[in-house]
Amino acid sequence: MMGILLVDVCWQVFSRYVLQNPSSFTDELARFLLIWLTLFGAAFLVGQKEHLAIEILSNKLNPKIQAILMNSSVLVFAFSVMVVGGLILVSTILELEQRSPNLQIPMGYVYLAIPLSGTLISYFSVMNIIHSIKGELE
Amino acid sequence: MEVVILIIVFIILLALGVPIAFSIGLASISTLIVSMEPSIAFATMAQRMATGLDSFALLAIPFFILAGQLMNRGGIANRLINFARTLVGVFPGGLIYVNIVACVLFGAISGSAAAAASAIGGFMIPKMEKEGYPKPFSAAINITASTTGLVIPPSNVLIIYSLASGGASITALFVAGYIPGILMAIGLIGVSYVYALKNGLPREKASTVKEMVHALGEAIPSLLLLIIVMGGIIGGIFTATEASAIAVVYTMLLAMVFYKEVRLNQFFEIMFEAVKTTSIVLILVSTSIAMSWVMSFENIPQDLSSFLLSVSDNKIVILLIMNLILLFVGIFMDITPAVLIFTPIFLPIATNLGVDPVHFGIIMVMNLCIGLCTPPVGSLLFVGVSVAKIKIEDVLKPLVPLFLVLLIVLMMVTYIPELSLFLPGLLD
Repeated sequence: MMGILLVDVCWQVFSRYVLQNPSSFTDELARFLLIWLTLFGAAFLVGQKEHLAIEILSNKLNPKIQAILMNSSVLVFAFSVMVVGGLILVSTILELEQRSPNLQIPMGYVYLAIPLSGTLISYFSVMNIIHSIKGELE
Repeated sequence: MEVVILIIVFIILLALGVPIAFSIGLASISTLIVSMEPSIAFATMAQRMATGLDSFALLAIPFFILAGQLMNRGGIANRLINFARTLVGVFPGGLIYVNIVACVLFGAISGSAAAAASAIGGFMIPKMEKEGYPKPFSAAINITASTTGLVIPPSNVLIIYSLASGGASITALFVAGYIPGILMAIGLIGVSYVYALKNGLPREKASTVKEMVHALGEAIPSLLLLIIVMGGIIGGIFTATEASAIAVVYTMLLAMVFYKEVRLNQFFEIMFEAVKTTSIVLILVSTSIAMSWVMSFENIPQDLSSFLLSVSDNKIVILLIMNLILLFVGIFMDITPAVLIFTPIFLPIATNLGVDPVHFGIIMVMNLCIGLCTPPVGSLLFVGVSVAKIKIEDVLKPLVPLFLVLLIVLMMVTYIPELSLFLPGLLD
């Protein structure tokens, strides 16, 4: 699905250039797709444990404790800022009925990517924590 | 007070191995919560993260990443190597220069240093070993030469700097990178020349004009991309983002239709990799932009600036201090987060002292490039030793003279602004 998004964005910009048709709705759509792509990609990477981190110091800690502390930190951020903060943001903007200038999409739906991605990240980090604790019992 | 919270939380989280993007986010929200009601702080952070991503200029990053990964697999590297060999292979230690020139060309086309290190190194290092070149030196050259791709345009790091700086022109930054990048390559060639003479390294047999023309013909479709992308940007025909999309389409045609090295199912695999890399970079951009908003809300850059200026108000000294801090940071941190974190802090200080934002961007990127080649966290170092199949310890000794020459070039670029600003000046 993310691949399709990228092709879509690529095609939007390309067709605009070739068709000599500088419609600004492709610009808007591309930006909104990029927000969704990044935030869902980021959630996916938490699941895959592939985010960029500095590992020199944390290597010296007990790996299970490190994994639990690390994932709890991610969980705190994803839940407080992305889920709670994101939902407040989305509901405020929906109430204001703010719409994007060209596509007329309610901006609240664009920003919905934040709480949704936050929910996925929270889910993945809880799963990672459970995984670490279970690993300790075995 | 706020500075202390921000820094301490950030360092503790990094030490725990929390991903950098989330460490930045948590440090910012802990700082913001001190002076705001929690619910408002959470919503403000979320909003800053979203607006940070809502930028047409940012779109260039996924496209250049995709184009770079396509080139990596698309048979472009060996054609550039052949071309470079007919040009510089005949000198003593010829394959070293071939490696350097090919890295510069590939880096200039793809804008990705890691792609240059793996694509060129993967082909050149085994070949150099067969011809009797010491492997550690070959790897060291490959690692350092691939950094030039980040300075020579197009370069994703410079796009990120442009965003973090809040308005330095991408075109000016791109053009400014040419001379410093080429100086880096010349410095590396100089060290190699001395090394090659001392160790009596072999030279390639001279190429005939016919071979040269043939190699050039093979390489031209790849080199043409450079002209289309940069010519289009400099000539004002299209923006950096549009250029990046054209680069993707062009490399797709080149790799899949013209050279026929990438099949459709491989293309989807490459695209998936590109999406992953994009998310890693852009989620960092998102939380970093939120952090730079928090910092300016709390007046942190001003506080740090007046602190640094209280140490000295001499431009040369302050630039030296900033260079040393950045070199130190570059040892531990990858280039993208470092640019995102330190640009909003250092750039206001530098502009106060009369340093041009474009000039400062080049200084910063060159500086952090050196950090990419050092242990313990040098992504290029890791790529370079893994394609060469040697240990990190082995490559360190031959790296030292190469670092020294890069540092000399860095100092030249820092204290001679014309090296970066001359070419962009011609554009106006």
